[in-house]
Amino acid sequence: MTDEKTKVNKWDGSAVKNALDDAVRDILVKKLNYEENFALVDGRLGICSIAVGIAMFALLWDYIHPFPASKPVLLLCVSFYFVMMGVLTFYTAYMEKGIFAVVVHKDPAGIDPEVTWEASSYMKRFDDIFQLTLSCTKSRDGKVKTATFEKSVACFMDTEGNLLQDLLEPEVLKLHTNIVSGKKEK
Amino acid sequence: MIDAMFDDLKRMNKRQFLYQVLSFGMIVSSALMIWKGLMVFTGSESPIVVVLSGSMEPAFFRGDLLFLTNYEEDPIRVGEIVVFKVEGRDIPIVHRVLKLHERENGTAKFLTKGDNNSVDDRGLYAPGQLWLAKKDVVGRARGLLPYVGMVTIYMNEYPKVKYALLAGLAGYVLIHRE
Repeated sequence: MTDEKTKVNKWDGSAVKNALDDAVRDILVKKLNYEENFALVDGRLGICSIAVGIAMFALLWDYIHPFPASKPVLLLCVSFYFVMMGVLTFYTAYMEKGIFAVVVHKDPAGIDPEVTWEASSYMKRFDDIFQLTLSCTKSRDGKVKTATFEKSVACFMDTEGNLLQDLLEPEVLKLHTNIVSGKKEK
Repeated sequence: MIDAMFDDLKRMNKRQFLYQVLSFGMIVSSALMIWKGLMVFTGSESPIVVVLSGSMEPAFFRGDLLFLTNYEEDPIRVGEIVVFKVEGRDIPIVHRVLKLHERENGTAKFLTKGDNNSVDDRGLYAPGQLWLAKKDVVGRARGLLPYVGMVTIYMNEYPKVKYALLAGLAGYVLIHRE
């Protein structure tokens, strides 16, 4: 477990949420030893790269063939760019949905199927309640189990803005155990 | 406060940093695409210009922002205000058409003069040039926003302010997470 203290500006809501998300990701990867799956983040990076690429291409084309000649190409690029923006918005709203970490539990023996865990969090603007949801999907049956907790960020941070990982860990592990034991009951 | 911002940066892993760079790229790209989109939509290579001198007072004052269109179907007529660029110079000039000679096939040559100037623009044209052609026209003024262009004039007179502002914006976007 890293001993580094994470310090954020406690009044900056998004910095606090990001710090908490990072800490949860740390717990999932380092403590529970799951492997992180970057497909979701890579998807978003890919869409952004394509959009920026289109814009750069338009810039270059317009530089080589000055304006009136470049009109049709520019029209095409601008339309594609805004379509990409739409795709990105759709992707962020529907596919990402606040998920900041996806980890996979691969059974080393290769017998049990892969289990995918997704962690997503939500914090309303100017509110101090941090809502963390862990959801677990077994790749074979596709059944999804979720567990959530809602706590004020004050439970995990001290007045200096230091994130106290030791207070966050048991909460996350509790969610994890809830789901795991819930599965075994079935 | 600055330390806290750099802490955020230090804690980012490769993917998050790439996302920050891409976010910055997207902001620049969005501005660029909106500008190019305006160019295509209005048909003008410079759809928004700033009035740089007082040569068109009292119609336009220094610092006014002008919105231009450059549609081929609109013929240039005497009395209209056109924005043109003299060959070899980058600065757009906003003046009124004084005289016009037009052929049947639509080619034209025209002379311009600023309302507030006492002589016509032949002194501003390229050496040996007595008339302007359609290709010199950047567009015709369709809309006006007073005073807004003073920001651009100010930033061009003090380039350090412009660079400092852009550097600050870039730094902020790159460091601040989501």
